[in-house]
Amino acid sequence: MHKEAAIREPLILGSPTYSDISNDVLFAIENKPTKLWKVLMVIASIAALWGIGCITYLLGVGIGTWGLNNTVGWAWDITNFVWWVGIGHAGTLISAVLLLFRQKWRMAINRPAEAMTIFAVFMAGLFPLIHMGRIWMAYWVLPLPNQFGSLWVNFNSPLLWDVFAISTYLSVSLVFWYIGLIPDFGTIRDRATRPVQKLMYGLLSFGWTGNAKAWQRFEEVSLVLAGLATPLVFSVHSIVSMDFATSVIPGWHTTIFPPYFVAGAVFSGFAMVQTLMLIVRKAMRLEHYVTIKHIEYMNIVIIVTGSIVGVAYLTELFIAYYSGVEYESYAFINRLSGPYWWSYWAMMTCNVVSPHLFWSNKLRTNLAFTFVMSIIVNIGMWFERFVIIVTSVHRDYLPSSWSMFYPTWVDIGVFVGTIGLFSVFYLLFLKYFPVLAFNEVKSILKSSGEQYKNMTDEEFKTLHPVFKKDIK
Amino acid sequence: MANTKKYWKGIEQLDDESSFLDSNKNEFAEQLPIADFLGDKEKLEDSSTSRRDFLKYLGFGVAAASLAACETPVTKAIPYINKPEEVTPGVANHYASTYFDGNDYCPVLIKTREGRPIFIKGNKLSPLTKGEISARVNASVMSLYDNNRLKSPMINGESKTWAAIDNRLGKALKEAKNLKILTGTVISPSTKSIINSFIGASTSPNEDGNVNENNIIQYDMISYSGILDANKESFNKRSIPTYNFQKAKVIVSIGADFLSGWLDSIQYNVGYAETRSPEKEWMSKHFQFEANMSLTGTNADVRIPVKPSDYGVIIASLYNLVATDLGLNKVKVSILNKNYIKRVEEVAKHLLKNKEESIVVCSSNDKDIQTMVNGLNEMLGNYNSTIDLDKISNTKQGDDKEMMSLVNEMESGNVDALLIYGIDPVLSFGDRFKKALSKVKTTVSFASKMDETAAECNYVCPDSHFLESWNDANPVLGHYSLGQPTISPLFDTRQVQESLMKWTGTEGSYHDYIKAYWKENVFPKTEALLFIDFWNLSIHDGVVETKIEKKALNTINLTENVSKAATKVANIKVDSSAYELTLYIKEGIGHGVGADNPVLQELPDPVSKITWDNYVTMNPSEMKDKNYNTIFGQESPANLIAVTVGDKTIELPVIAQPGQAKGTIGIALGYGKAVGKMKELTGKNAYPFVVRDKDGSPLYTANATITDLEGSYPIAAAQTQQTVMGRGSIIKETTIDVFKNGNRDDYNPVLTLLSSETDEHGHQKPKPLAEFDLWGDQPVKNIGHRWGMSIDMNLCTGCGACVTACNIENNVAVIGKDEVRRGRIMHWLRIDRYYSSEHQPLGDIGSTHEKTKEALDVNGISAYTAMESADTDNPSVVHQPMMCQHCNHAGCETVCPVAATTHSNEGLNMMTYNRCIGTRYCANNCAYKVRRFNWYNYIANSKFEDINPSQDDIGRMVLNPDVVVRSRGVMEKCSFCIQGIQAAKLEAKNEGRPVRDGDVDCACSTACGSEAIIFGDLNDKGSDVRAGMEKDRAYRVIEEVGQDANVYYQTKVRNLKA
Repeated sequence: MHKEAAIREPLILGSPTYSDISNDVLFAIENKPTKLWKVLMVIASIAALWGIGCITYLLGVGIGTWGLNNTVGWAWDITNFVWWVGIGHAGTLISAVLLLFRQKWRMAINRPAEAMTIFAVFMAGLFPLIHMGRIWMAYWVLPLPNQFGSLWVNFNSPLLWDVFAISTYLSVSLVFWYIGLIPDFGTIRDRATRPVQKLMYGLLSFGWTGNAKAWQRFEEVSLVLAGLATPLVFSVHSIVSMDFATSVIPGWHTTIFPPYFVAGAVFSGFAMVQTLMLIVRKAMRLEHYVTIKHIEYMNIVIIVTGSIVGVAYLTELFIAYYSGVEYESYAFINRLSGPYWWSYWAMMTCNVVSPHLFWSNKLRTNLAFTFVMSIIVNIGMWFERFVIIVTSVHRDYLPSSWSMFYPTWVDIGVFVGTIGLFSVFYLLFLKYFPVLAFNEVKSILKSSGEQYKNMTDEEFKTLHPVFKKDIK
Repeated sequence: MANTKKYWKGIEQLDDESSFLDSNKNEFAEQLPIADFLGDKEKLEDSSTSRRDFLKYLGFGVAAASLAACETPVTKAIPYINKPEEVTPGVANHYASTYFDGNDYCPVLIKTREGRPIFIKGNKLSPLTKGEISARVNASVMSLYDNNRLKSPMINGESKTWAAIDNRLGKALKEAKNLKILTGTVISPSTKSIINSFIGASTSPNEDGNVNENNIIQYDMISYSGILDANKESFNKRSIPTYNFQKAKVIVSIGADFLSGWLDSIQYNVGYAETRSPEKEWMSKHFQFEANMSLTGTNADVRIPVKPSDYGVIIASLYNLVATDLGLNKVKVSILNKNYIKRVEEVAKHLLKNKEESIVVCSSNDKDIQTMVNGLNEMLGNYNSTIDLDKISNTKQGDDKEMMSLVNEMESGNVDALLIYGIDPVLSFGDRFKKALSKVKTTVSFASKMDETAAECNYVCPDSHFLESWNDANPVLGHYSLGQPTISPLFDTRQVQESLMKWTGTEGSYHDYIKAYWKENVFPKTEALLFIDFWNLSIHDGVVETKIEKKALNTINLTENVSKAATKVANIKVDSSAYELTLYIKEGIGHGVGADNPVLQELPDPVSKITWDNYVTMNPSEMKDKNYNTIFGQESPANLIAVTVGDKTIELPVIAQPGQAKGTIGIALGYGKAVGKMKELTGKNAYPFVVRDKDGSPLYTANATITDLEGSYPIAAAQTQQTVMGRGSIIKETTIDVFKNGNRDDYNPVLTLLSSETDEHGHQKPKPLAEFDLWGDQPVKNIGHRWGMSIDMNLCTGCGACVTACNIENNVAVIGKDEVRRGRIMHWLRIDRYYSSEHQPLGDIGSTHEKTKEALDVNGISAYTAMESADTDNPSVVHQPMMCQHCNHAGCETVCPVAATTHSNEGLNMMTYNRCIGTRYCANNCAYKVRRFNWYNYIANSKFEDINPSQDDIGRMVLNPDVVVRSRGVMEKCSFCIQGIQAAKLEAKNEGRPVRDGDVDCACSTACGSEAIIFGDLNDKGSDVRAGMEKDRAYRVIEEVGQDANVYYQTKVRNLKA
């Protein structure tokens, strides 16, 4: 146990004890749901049911219920897919990459971020399924043996790579998340009084004993999984970007896409974490654990990734100009001055201009502003995907086929529905799962907790048995 | 009143015998042995049915009943008991026949499968049409299977049997003192003879004792009285000569859309195409003066937008310019608009340079203007060189004067009976005819579908479809053709000729009648020896040429007539304040025949690309002045306006038509039949706008006023973008001077890229594009077959016959206006139409292409915006058929996750429908955007119930059994008619020979009589398609993308100076 430099700001405010931490985090699980939770749950459920209804209608009648046409074969479906996958990036990045870099501030946000990742990937995975004309044949994208009645798949197709990339990402994220949950489930089980609760959390905790050997293994597995998950952070969105990058459509056929998409994904993922955390910390009174410092750190990530994205946009423009390719140049001229100019400039404003407001320390640490910004960034990132997908393909090579895309109520309904469904999952998570990795948070209490940081060395030493004898 | 009658069962009851009363108390007359059976324990035990058994039987019974109920319904295919010799399941039979709808004549070849006609192509044996066909003729097979056809004869709206009709109508006709028959133009000599004998039998003869021909009135839906009457004066015969466009080096058309609808346009298409190939010794130069942007106008080398009221003065000016040069007398002419003077002078120069090798035609229905045209052609020596006065055309015989006198007579109540055949005069003539018709006691319609006129007639005796009937035709002097049935009548219909024969008491069938007629009248004019051989050959070939007795038309008093006519024309006063309306007919709908044919309704107009509607066309710059929306799109509807001519007003949407002469508007006829299933979808009837002169001749131009209306109207267009955005690798065009004098690099350079190798000066060496290919060489190059296409944009007029042919051959779904508006048209083959964003070059100066590039360099981004809209005044136009390019390095093939679209070893890009899961990735990655997705289940979804003919059992009969009907959620696209390729390969294999060039044809190339589309094996060194590929004009669309397409286009060459 070492004491962190005083110059670093504390990561846990106030003077909670270990049991305070448990109580604070487990308050939601151990008590009846609050009114706010119920209200949110009702709203989210209505949106989710509406979305499910729209999907059912879509599957029953046909893709024609969306606004797509012969020229624009993908629009909101794949826009939403990429948007949700992008959102699903922050969780793994926070938990895996920041773990490897030993960033302790991740501990307060990795659990909710990972939950967000998993639910976002669920939502993302929905779109490639329902966008198929014949969803009942969806299993044909799996490389099942021919004896199964299917045929071998086409490994040239980036859509197939997507199948592998996303399913791998989802399974690793899920395992990583679950492993992290085990010690916390153990604590809940130990505290549970009602038999059903005890049984359920008992099952979920996999017989966690909490002894030193278990903790040691836990740490090792976390490290290994973090190592496994880190490349996935980069691979998933790179591969998603190849759906476009390997095509021949001007505006899609761009080699810059993989890094640009990954940066964009982290950008939007952090924004979504902000949106969720700002609500959660307030509603669940977790301000001591998710501090302004945490928010500020995430805002810094948003500035950095937002800048990368901005550079990528400008690079695209420059290359379109410099390449001298007629179609490529026009694709970008059309983006910024064509019929969808508003979506391009919405994207530019939200993603490139607005994050730079965070250079101001005052704004960066302002919660209300951060919340608004996180929403703006998410809108901007949705438009980025819309711009890439629709404004490239709606005016490609032959002007005779140029067309416009207009969403129908089903397009909108499905999107709103996924937001609702995501919220339902997330609210369930908040109610039944330990919303912070509190056992891990406890591990930094004495090194980064405010109360300990303010102690003198002497006071600090009294706390630890190792030092106790020195005091005598 | 109560019923007091009493019935009794027997004498016992009557007598109230006690024995009866006793037995009546028992329910059953005899004692049932229930007690015996159940009471007798022994018997009960002997019986084999125990309680267990009973339950077993009950169980089995229920199970059996439910099993029987679960059985899937069985649809029985009934095999032939005796297989007809000529029908082999799976093998198509072709029969020669003849199409004539009162307007278009076309000798055709009918493809039948298992006794069902499923496809119509042009008859290549015909010297007139040489295999050419139009969209209307091609799609007429759909009307055979139209479930809205009349299924039985009717009297006053009630279905009756033919016997009842013959009985009642026979009497009514006998009673009629004044009987008339009103027909469209009849070109069938046998039918004419039957009508004559019917009239002979039913009416009193004229003074000479002959059949009174005044009782036979011919009336054309679209009148050509102007030209017919002018010819009557000029040649002493009311008929139309044959225009040999193939001989004309200079073609001047004033308003005549001779490639689409004007007179015998199917024939003219063939002749015209023969002159448009720049590789030939000469290429025709085509000038078009017109108000609307017509299909013909889009093909002209020089198009001059003029008001229809100027047609007369333009012709007179041309006449005077030519006359001056030849030292002949000039005629009176009013002042020529100064904007046209230079153009008219230029046209006159070209005409004078090409005397005896030019044609002047005009659409005007004014006799005087047509007389001047005749005078001009006569001066230029075109008669008997380019215009054949020997071979006169019979396809237009309508006489509006006779029609007017008929209507007058009907109105006076003097006509007792009127039989109407082949036309819909209530639609085209309007309310006046409708009222007059109500004064006729006995009215008979032979319409095969309920139309405006049939709805007003007492008797409807539905005619059979032409595919169910025998017929003959004599469209042009010395040319006969036969029509033969290819299926038994589907409904209880009877062909007109049989009805008339029945009513006159003529024995035998119409088939016998034709045969006898031909034996007597046609056979002697040929050199055949035996009639039976001649007859069989005629049926086989469908067409017969006969000797013509030289009955050349001769011009009489032409100069004098022209001078008189010119004076009359010069005195016409023009109201310049009003909009000048020109009524026109569309390629798909015609005068109305296509209005209830969904395939034709969905055929995009060749110029505007709009489907399912008629509308007002107007110049975009004038629309902007009036704040009308000039851009139509899915959510960008047109403004509604009210157009008024005289006392008639129609509400229509107004759309921007670049090139429409300013101060003019256009509306298509033939739409808006109120009777029928698709009535809400078929636009508005514009026939009320037809103004008639004092002789009753309709003029298809009128002064109109327009007023704005509230509201908007959705427009369903297959293409909304106007220009090609200066993209030189999509459309390549040049002028004849550059083509003839320059080399390939001047108009179609081979694409190169700079390589890393350098020359001695250190400059990078350019290398052909193919050397930079990421991919290996084509596996199909020079090995086996490599199917490909060559499309000559000089020969393609954009008519759309290939589109309907493709739709019908490949069972392409009709999806209706709403879905077309959403950009989901299913056509595998479309014709892209591009307007230039620059003015059409003035006369012989400059090409359009360079100017666009100049504009680009100067203005940057705003130049792109400017390029998006077509030049409003007078753009050049180009048509480009576009279908799957069967790329050897196809974008679609690599991206499909399930390998549903793959490349064949014959160079075809194949689509496996039942493997497709519908991700639409292939469509997105198709650079040509030719892939079509099944957004809905078009054959069952209720949205398409009234639209898609495949939703009813009869409509489904036209489906090609060789091509699968695609299900919801799968992608489809042009297959190069792979079913035809397979059939041809099989046939060649059976005959033990390689596939020869010409064995394989796609539906589109079959339909294209001008041979703009050629299909074949690119590996076959002797094939036509290979020759096309090797031409200097050949290029592939967006070749630089590197997809290595198998479709080659030929650079468009306009007959202009560089």
